[in-house]
Amino acid sequence: MVAVVNKSTFSKVFWPVLAWTVAIVFFFPIFWMVLTSFKTDADAVKPEHLIVFTPTLENYLNMIENYDFWRFAKNSVITSLFATTFTLFVGVPAAYAMAFNPSRHTKDILIWMLSTKMLPAAAVLYPMTFLTKNILGLFDTHFLIIIVLSLINLPIVIWMLFTYFKEIPKEIIEAGKMDGVSIWGEIKDIVLPLAWGGLASTALLCFIFCWNEAYWTVRLTTIDAATLSKLIEGNRAPEGLFFGRLSAVSTAAVGPIVVLGWFCQKQLVQGLTFGAVK
Amino acid sequence: MSQRTLPRLMQTPAVLLLLVWMLVPLGMTIFFSFIRYVLNNLRKPEWTTPSIDNWRGFGNYEYVLYKSKDFWFAVQNSVFIVGSIIVLTVALGLAIAVLINRSFPGRGMVRVLLISPFFVMPAVNAVLWINMLLDPVLGLNGLIVNGLNGVIDGLRDFPLLGNFFSFWPELQPISFRATQTSAYAVIVMVTWQWTPFAILIFMTSLQSEDQQQKEAAILDGASAWSQFVNLTIPHLARPIAIVIMIQAIFHLSLYAEIEIVSRGNGNKNLPYLIGEFASNNIGAASATGIFAVILANIVAIFLLRIIGKSLMD
Repeated sequence: MVAVVNKSTFSKVFWPVLAWTVAIVFFFPIFWMVLTSFKTDADAVKPEHLIVFTPTLENYLNMIENYDFWRFAKNSVITSLFATTFTLFVGVPAAYAMAFNPSRHTKDILIWMLSTKMLPAAAVLYPMTFLTKNILGLFDTHFLIIIVLSLINLPIVIWMLFTYFKEIPKEIIEAGKMDGVSIWGEIKDIVLPLAWGGLASTALLCFIFCWNEAYWTVRLTTIDAATLSKLIEGNRAPEGLFFGRLSAVSTAAVGPIVVLGWFCQKQLVQGLTFGAVK
Repeated sequence: MSQRTLPRLMQTPAVLLLLVWMLVPLGMTIFFSFIRYVLNNLRKPEWTTPSIDNWRGFGNYEYVLYKSKDFWFAVQNSVFIVGSIIVLTVALGLAIAVLINRSFPGRGMVRVLLISPFFVMPAVNAVLWINMLLDPVLGLNGLIVNGLNGVIDGLRDFPLLGNFFSFWPELQPISFRATQTSAYAVIVMVTWQWTPFAILIFMTSLQSEDQQQKEAAILDGASAWSQFVNLTIPHLARPIAIVIMIQAIFHLSLYAEIEIVSRGNGNKNLPYLIGEFASNNIGAASATGIFAVILANIVAIFLLRIIGKSLMD
């Protein structure tokens, strides 16, 4: 009996402490980045100022004054928002049809869609640049970035939505059909309320992927449509220099998304399973 | 409208968009891979415009396979990086998901902290790790090793005990920008970012585990380990497959991290090699691109065999 009690007190203390330790280790790099963003560039690399230092907003003020931060931020918001909207606009009907009226080819279509994500972007970079610059004249426009972001996320979005819609019992839809509800009525009155959580988490994930995208947004823009990832790209080069400045730019670029993720954590946890959990 | 027409119509925009998105660039890449096409060439200016007259047949493919010393290395390295990341994230994800699958004070907070890395922009992730954490001089890596050396130096001055410590060598911080280690830096940073994804999926799945079965196993005297191996792992088979598939899709096209860590120095993967060729030799870049498409398809077929079956249940 004694041994059992000992064991349970041990595991009552040990496992939570271990869990907290792991969590802190995982979060540490982000904490470190935020902390460094309040140090001057000189302080950031001095061992004696590792923890103890005089906090300064210099890096943030500098970023806003000299790097045109708000323009990059505005572009990120615009492109991510519109791309998410457009992706859902195209993706919801497609996923709906696949989940409720599957045909022999539905599985193949889904798999093919996902496989388009495996095309190496670098292989088509040159054709894309050539096409958008010389033929379509869309290079460095919001429109182009929105379309590209939508297309790279469309397969994942359809996949996620498909797995949600599939969870909705078919009988409910059948009952609706009996009552003579139209297909749009079905979507609006029956499916959407049931799939609301799934839709929200899909939208959120799509927004996060758009915001974080750094291949096309860097290479298909120069100034007008350049997003925050381009700002990071431009600030990263010199090794070991400007840690303070770098951290401030990074914190500003990552902060909104991380905080958004925290608030929507519950939905994401439910949603981010790609149909893995029954 | 018939029963089948409307569902088809609803899928059409998505299918068409993706078809164009795939076929147009792919078609151009295939065309470029069969012609001589370079961006700058003073002796042969006619090669700088894409034209059917510069037909080279399989010349670009042969060039990539036989003349470029980086190709096979890049293929191996791509597979090595993706494989390592998948193994590490699945192992860590499983361990941590099981660890936090119990109630304890501050569990919600722990979850928030653990998920956070997944939201970080990959470019920021790479910049942050290679500069501020892994840099052998100015990063935390260098600072900690220096600090340890300082402590050991101090201990050397002690009588008696000092003799022992004077045998200790000076510690050297590992440089992750060196050719052999830059792949490890990439693996570390991507593992940090994607372990939360694995945790999330495994955690959600663990909550739906059959508790009665577990209790029965405990009554039968099954150890915690055998419960884990015989009940939990089979229950998690599908989530593990999904985690592997999604990560393979994302990491085969890894680029920003490779570039930021060492500019591909000693650590190229296929996308990066394509990028290098593309700075001048579009023909070779396109041929490499086709090879990358083939590799991706091999992986895809392999993975979808596993996932595809359970997809429609």
